[in-house]
Amino acid sequence: MRIGVFVCQCGTNIAGTVDTQEVARRAGNLPDVAYATSYMYTCSEPGQQEIQRAIREKNLQGVVVAACSPRMHEPTFRRAVERAGLNRFMFEMANIREHVSWINNDREANTRKAAELVEMAVAKLRFNQPLFSSQISVNKRVMVIGGGVAGIQAALDCSDGGLDVVLVERKSSIGGKMAQLDKTFPTVDCSSCILGPKMVDVVQKDNITLHAASEVESISGYVGNFTVEVRKKATYVDWTACTGCGACIEKCPSRKVPDVFNENLANARAINIPFPQAIPKKATINRDYCLHFTKGKCGTCQKVCPTGAVNYEMQDEIVTEQVGAIIVATGYDLFDASVYGEYGGGRYADVISGIQYERILSASGPFGGHIKRPSDGKEPKDIVFIACVGSRDASVGRPYCSGVCCMYIAKQAILTRDHLPDTRVWVFYMDIRAPGKNYDEFVRRAQEEYGVQYIRGRVGKVYPKGDRMVVQGNDTLLGVQVEVEADLVVLATGIEASAGARELAEKLRISYDQYGFYMESHPKLRPVETNTAGVYLAGVCQGPKDIPSSVAMGSAAAAKVQALFSRDTIETNPQVALVNERVCISCGKCIQVCPFGAIQWKELRGGIRKAEVLPSVCQGCGLCNATCPPKAIQLQHATDNQILAEVNALCA
Amino acid sequence: MFENATKQLRETVEAALPELNTVVGWRAGYDPLHMTPVFIKNAGDLSKLEWSPFCVQNLSGYLVKDPAVRAQDPSKKIGICVKGCDSRSLVALIQEKFIERNQIHVFGIPCRGTVDWRRVMKLGPLTGIQSARVEESRLVVEDANGGHTFALEDVLARKCLRCAHPNPVIHDVLIGEPVTPRVAVENSYGEVERMEEQSLEDRLGFWKKELDKCLRCYACRNACPLCVCQDRCIAETREPRWLTQRVGTSEKFLFHFIHALHLAGRCTECGECERACPMEIPVTLIKEKLNKITLELMSYEAGMDPEAVPPLLTFNPGETGL
Ligand SMILES: Cc1cc2nc3c(=O)[nH]c(=O)nc-3n(C[C@H](O)[C@H](O)[C@H](O)COP(=O)(O)OP(=O)(O)OC[C@H]3O[C@@H](n4cnc5c(N)ncnc54)[C@H](O)[C@@H]3O)c2cc1C
Ligand code: SF4
Ligand code: SF4
Ligand code: SF4
Ligand code: SF4
Repeated sequence: MRIGVFVCQCGTNIAGTVDTQEVARRAGNLPDVAYATSYMYTCSEPGQQEIQRAIREKNLQGVVVAACSPRMHEPTFRRAVERAGLNRFMFEMANIREHVSWINNDREANTRKAAELVEMAVAKLRFNQPLFSSQISVNKRVMVIGGGVAGIQAALDCSDGGLDVVLVERKSSIGGKMAQLDKTFPTVDCSSCILGPKMVDVVQKDNITLHAASEVESISGYVGNFTVEVRKKATYVDWTACTGCGACIEKCPSRKVPDVFNENLANARAINIPFPQAIPKKATINRDYCLHFTKGKCGTCQKVCPTGAVNYEMQDEIVTEQVGAIIVATGYDLFDASVYGEYGGGRYADVISGIQYERILSASGPFGGHIKRPSDGKEPKDIVFIACVGSRDASVGRPYCSGVCCMYIAKQAILTRDHLPDTRVWVFYMDIRAPGKNYDEFVRRAQEEYGVQYIRGRVGKVYPKGDRMVVQGNDTLLGVQVEVEADLVVLATGIEASAGARELAEKLRISYDQYGFYMESHPKLRPVETNTAGVYLAGVCQGPKDIPSSVAMGSAAAAKVQALFSRDTIETNPQVALVNERVCISCGKCIQVCPFGAIQWKELRGGIRKAEVLPSVCQGCGLCNATCPPKAIQLQHATDNQILAEVNALCA
Repeated sequence: MFENATKQLRETVEAALPELNTVVGWRAGYDPLHMTPVFIKNAGDLSKLEWSPFCVQNLSGYLVKDPAVRAQDPSKKIGICVKGCDSRSLVALIQEKFIERNQIHVFGIPCRGTVDWRRVMKLGPLTGIQSARVEESRLVVEDANGGHTFALEDVLARKCLRCAHPNPVIHDVLIGEPVTPRVAVENSYGEVERMEEQSLEDRLGFWKKELDKCLRCYACRNACPLCVCQDRCIAETREPRWLTQRVGTSEKFLFHFIHALHLAGRCTECGECERACPMEIPVTLIKEKLNKITLELMSYEAGMDPEAVPPLLTFNPGETGL
């Protein structure tokens, strides 16, 4: 093989601490290297032309570029060598910037390490083979998982673009957390007034299929061709017949069912529609409370339903959906405030969470929009908000900022003073985080126009005194202890990953951070992509954010899907596993370990079975190769021989 | 006492023989301390079949490696005689679908331990051995110079002294009464623990010295019932080129650690590799270390449950303990 080596100076990025001339000189002595040089900016237009010129003039068959991380420019250089007539896989990159020049100042050691990395790349390249991708067709349907505002926005945008959309929501209605909110900062417009029409749009669009009360069971396939099994949970009501009239709910004798939509501040019935604007507006039976299921008698709802929709025999149903892309918008859950025993959350009726307060404020909430406290229904005269309950506190495993609490406290304080102008409001906070458009102004309005008392400091303890609560904390600005007596205490509980987020991530084969938030492909440049091709993110499932950002992300994910679907076919990645049938001993271990189900048996003449990789399903993880005892299955472009050549180059 | 067991074994095999292709068992070898495998096809051969504490060989490998045993009338089962340890190899092979449970008829023999002839020969150089028998806790050998008695503990195989599963974990018939295990599995890794106490340098030194003796004859691999790759074993193929023909400790090291890693979480500690090694390298010890890790991290013991999936042969994203 005739190999050319190009050592990039990256201006002074590399040349500052690496003698690139020396690296090129040493590379020139390696076996098969026919040409070696150092260049100022290899990725620049002239730099790429220099590579192409060398390929033609020196008859190069393979190229090594020693420069930055392959994540940065491998595609650039692959295209460059391809333009000069080489197969793009006859190219290797040695990372001498992120792995060398940027992490150490010792010029001599750096130069040695860079030379060794180049030697490894050359050693590997000598075993490279041209690889070719094939084209696979794209199924232009998209699935959106999670019907909060982010998922709804993504679904509507895709639908507007003419795509068929399948929206999967695990609750019986879409809407997510936003449906529970009263008003929204910073404009204080009514949440259901702005969300409601979007929810209605979802059912009115012909090209959106909504599976509510459903969850993803399994996912197989790959970008362009996913097969998703969706479990439609038994609701015990035939939704094609249910008109949402509510007759059943009125008559249901099981009346002590926690009303989850109202954050358990009220009771619901065993057969229920969560809220008046629910989409779809269909009844669901809660088995745990239904007397038919718990006691074996009742049947009232079945009798009163005018359309005969109630069906106690209903079973979960699995439907299979074929889609080409998936947008994940599964949102969040809230921190369990009872972890802070000293605040009394979950212990005292009048210590509630922010989302409970949203329900109290809401006209469709448990108290019809009148601010009352849960214990005795009295109007509170003094209210204390405590910020950062389960945010920015490493001791409870939540070191991150939930991003929306400062703002919703200000909103709730303003709304409180609007409803009950005589009520006094205190806020205990750590810092005010209000970086959005018109956000800081909003908080200032709470402080200046609405007279909300902001006290900078942590609360130590909340305890009952008579029928009131005492909040003990310190004011770090004044350096004094403060004690406030209040009728109601609202804990701004922080955002955490939604329940089941990790399990869903495993099914989707996307990564998540230590808190369960999904990982974007690049924090700045690929914020809605994941590292699994064809799977995109929207909303709080990726990390805490407010409604405007969630909606923007929903639209962005939709745009990515539109871009993907603008082509009829996509190229497969040829860096997949391949079985050498002569070596395969038919042990089946690879089939067993492949996390993607990418390997199956292939029957040869005489009933002999050999393993066979489905190249379009294989993700190139290499687990099969590590497991295969005789190493019959090899990952293309990272074969044992290629890796061994690198190791040998380093250890020789 | 072993005469009775042999008699019982022969009778049991005889009763089952019409339904079986072959029965793999043991017969007398070239001297009374040695046994050798036998393949019983008809009742006429039954008198060869024997059971005694000299039946050290694990015969289960024949089910997957010997083409003569494999290519038989598929409507009939294959009979096989196993001790406790050997039966676990069967389970491992069943788990990995190399054999089917309903293809085999297992004659299980509870075992009180087998004799390692090398240990005997080290204690007393014997010539012209005429007889050898185990009586209670003694081994009595007669050779040209008369009678010799050895304490059984001094001549049992290493694997037997640490045996936690003397009773076959699967069997169709059991020959004799179940016996009490010597140790619980948690307590069976004393030798590994003693190795672990040594410094890294000492351990490296030990293995360098031991493995340097390796001839790369691959007897260990060939004896291993779970090393099923045969001609495809990467010790010998050059594609991919993990090992070369170069002589030197590094290649020997690499081979033994490849062997051990390919057996991680699969090896049942039957000790065949160590027994087969002509250079007396304690190669099972490497696998014992891996199994100890498997037990501690994943609470898994190889070859116990035909339904279980060996932990390294599955992808389980929810894996805990690691
Ligand atoms: C008390 C409070 C007040 C707030 N006030 C404001 C405000 O005034 N202004 C503002 O901008 N922001 C506010 N926020 C933030 C706002 O709630 C979020 O930004 C927004 O709801 C995020 O939308 P989402 O679609 O990403 O997530 P979600 O609203 O959580 O929606 C996720 C949806 O996915 C579903 N789901 C979850 N897992 C699965 C699964 N495995 N399969 C199928 N479906 C699944 C859920 O059931 C849910 O319907 C507030 C937050 C709180 C806690
Ligand atoms: S693991 Fe290797 S030998 Fe076993 S079936 Fe797969 S490719 Fe063949
Ligand atoms: S590399 Fe192997 S284990 Fe990984 S996805 Fe491909 S076939 Fe499956
Ligand atoms: S590696 Fe040795 S002890 Fe383990 S199963 Fe194979 S032969 Fe038996
Ligand atoms: S050492 Fe590995 S490759 Fe060789 S036979 Fe055993 S399992 Fe197969």
